Amino acid sequence: MKWSLRSTLPLALAMTACGGGDTARSPKATGDLLTIGYDREPDTMNRYATHILEDIESCVVEGLVVNDEKMNIIPVLALDVPTTENGGVTLRPDGGMDVTWKLRPGVKWHDGVPHTSADVKFTVDAINKGDWKPESVDGFDRIASVDTPDSLTAVVHYREVYAPYRLQFVRGTLPKHVLDGRNIDAATDYNRKPLGTGPYRVVEWKTGEYILLEGVPDYWRGAQFPKIKRLLFKFLPNTTTRINQLKSGEVQLVALVPWDKVRELRGLPNIRLNQVVGNGYEHVTLNQKRFTPFADVTVRRAMAHAIDRDLIVNTLLDSLVTVVNGPIQPLSSAYEKNVTSYPHDPSRARALLDSAGWIASADGIRVKGGKRLAFTLITQSGFAIRENVSQALQKQFRDVGIDASVRLIDGTSISSIWFKGDFDAMLHWWQQGADPEMTLFFASDRMPPAGRNINYFKDDSLTAMLYASDRTADEGKRIDLLKAAQRRLSVLIPELPLYNTAKIDAVPAQLQGFTGNPTNAGPFWNVYQWQLTPR
Amino acid sequence: MIRFVVRRLVQSVPLLLVISLLIFALIHAAPGGPLSTYLENPNVRPEDIERLRKAMGLDRPLGMQYLSWLWAFVRGDWGFSYADGRPVLDRLVERIPATLELIGVACVMALIAALPAGILAAVNRRFDRVSSIFAVAGISLPVFWFGLLLQLVFAGALGWLPSSGRASFDGGDFVDRVAHLILPATVLAAALSAAWSRYLRRAMRDTVARPFIRAARSRGLSERTLLLHHALPNALPTFVTVVLLDISMMASGAVVTESIFAWPGIGSLFTEALGKRDYAVLMAFLMCGSVAVMVLNLVADLAVHTLDPRTRDAA
Repeated sequence: MKWSLRSTLPLALAMTACGGGDTARSPKATGDLLTIGYDREPDTMNRYATHILEDIESCVVEGLVVNDEKMNIIPVLALDVPTTENGGVTLRPDGGMDVTWKLRPGVKWHDGVPHTSADVKFTVDAINKGDWKPESVDGFDRIASVDTPDSLTAVVHYREVYAPYRLQFVRGTLPKHVLDGRNIDAATDYNRKPLGTGPYRVVEWKTGEYILLEGVPDYWRGAQFPKIKRLLFKFLPNTTTRINQLKSGEVQLVALVPWDKVRELRGLPNIRLNQVVGNGYEHVTLNQKRFTPFADVTVRRAMAHAIDRDLIVNTLLDSLVTVVNGPIQPLSSAYEKNVTSYPHDPSRARALLDSAGWIASADGIRVKGGKRLAFTLITQSGFAIRENVSQALQKQFRDVGIDASVRLIDGTSISSIWFKGDFDAMLHWWQQGADPEMTLFFASDRMPPAGRNINYFKDDSLTAMLYASDRTADEGKRIDLLKAAQRRLSVLIPELPLYNTAKIDAVPAQLQGFTGNPTNAGPFWNVYQWQLTPR
Repeated sequence: MIRFVVRRLVQSVPLLLVISLLIFALIHAAPGGPLSTYLENPNVRPEDIERLRKAMGLDRPLGMQYLSWLWAFVRGDWGFSYADGRPVLDRLVERIPATLELIGVACVMALIAALPAGILAAVNRRFDRVSSIFAVAGISLPVFWFGLLLQLVFAGALGWLPSSGRASFDGGDFVDRVAHLILPATVLAAALSAAWSRYLRRAMRDTVARPFIRAARSRGLSERTLLLHHALPNALPTFVTVVLLDISMMASGAVVTESIFAWPGIGSLFTEALGKRDYAVLMAFLMCGSVAVMVLNLVADLAVHTLDPRTRDAA
């Protein structure tokens, strides 16, 4: 749309007279300040308590490790990632496991107090004490105790083997000298302005408006870091507003640009679109408990053959994403490439449905024993691409005699609906952490409320493999088990995998060092390296 | 007069009770709850969800949750936000100035536009035709669409005004704040001024057609005196009632406007609380809204009472 200056000139003059003029624009990105359009205001800056992404927090509070843009787990406040090979992980005869974390020497909290193993121990104890509301106690609840033989060594004693131990302290540690003996939920000073060891500290949190971070003068990686002096996170929940601000230059960085906004941003001179393959996948969940025909593997295979995933990806998604065949994504070390895949083949799909006894009725919809092959596909409303994809699926299922009616549901309601199992089929994604664990999603005993197996799918052999993978500390063995599990999943196809979830961030063209991140670790994981070069 | 006010206040108590029960039932009937946002996150285990449900008191029967909320509420304890754990009262109070600023400025803008437009439209046919086009447009423009359009033009294409926020984080002087106010206040004022000018036009027309105006005109009074000193005071009570009732309704327009323009008022807090099913904040917000509607109703009655001598004996 073009707007002619002439028609708006009188109004323009009136507004400049009111003082709009040049003051309206925020300063352009300089080496001093980077303004980020952020999609929500954090609930708390306490990494352990927040239930949104920890992008802002991770600039302030560092983990013992972080996962990089290739999903390698790399040490931050730890000297090394403990493994069985480097002696950091030992199995005890009683079936338990000891993990020894060596901390980086010379790291200080922003108030000058050294960061020590006592902070690691305090974090575990505080979370297990249970008198406040950390978001997740996963893994911590398996820790019996922590020993601190010296100020830089923490030995974590697990009651059982816990395979994802490497990410146990990805959210960092809580400062003992600040929080000891206090109710952490009520420690507003910490929760609003957390004490960290990271490259930035919180200067101001203006409720409803922004959080301003400022580089710390003596960051442990060296005085040359961070290179950008200040980060301003503006809270802009409305997506269109966020994109408009990006175009007008009021904000210079927007993380996770919705796929349907990418076209608008392409070709803008000051913006670079950074894309990484995400560690998540869009798929159709098939609730076997609610709609029993899904319990037949032949029906599921027919449905998989009915879908033209390439067409969906190339048209509706502008080829931003790639077709995938399973829940573990190509970036993961546990990814198995050689799985059964289901190419688009409608005649094969029809033949499979025929063989399963589903015969086309007069209106073209298949029927078996008086039951029509008709179900409701739910998906989140207001998610433009998903709405389009669900309609494409509807058409493709219809072509082989399956009737899917689409129902759109708002984001908050849909989570409680799937958690209760009140749906037939659902188009959605899972966004995963760097650890490849799948037990929660596919083990037979992990149906809600005990887990997220919302296909309500049961397979004993798969369940055994998944639990075995969780209970091995040997990375190689674990990966073998997970690869076997992926092969089994692809044969049984309890859900219909569609495509990977690309993560696209819009960043200033002159920003150096930005890599993005495929996981929920978020793109700010290496913010200390970012640099705005003058153009 | 005082008896009238006291009676109205006493009557409002049972009404507020019923409203609180209705609101509580409605927001709990919507699917999802404060824990819904946790469900998508694979780090949050089912055990965690159970633990958090207990810690937040969401495992108690609904009736008990209502009664304990009510008992605390009447004692001035509005509870803690489910979303960020801070006191609800703090969360509301810190947002109120921004909303008052926005609504106040929008009202003034709407009045400045509506008063002359309404009067002129009542007496000048040609102006009436033109203004009715603008009025229909103003009333029917969806707030979110109009808001985004203004952003695109004045912040995006032309770059004259900031697209959102209340002030630049390092600016914040008077000029900067005015610049930030213009777009959201215009959006909010547009629909109001359109509706108000039509109300005033109608009221003025009715008044102008009445015999006492004809009588005054026959006495040779100028049109200007007739309109401003005889017709307007008679048309005003109806108009003032509408304006005051609309101001209480404005909260709903402000919810959308504030979200689009990232205005840090209670409207955007409401949107956020609704998305997160933050029951504590929602209850407090909606109760405050109900009280505001009641108070403004009362103020409207009192205003009419003051403006219209005929109602004084009745009260």
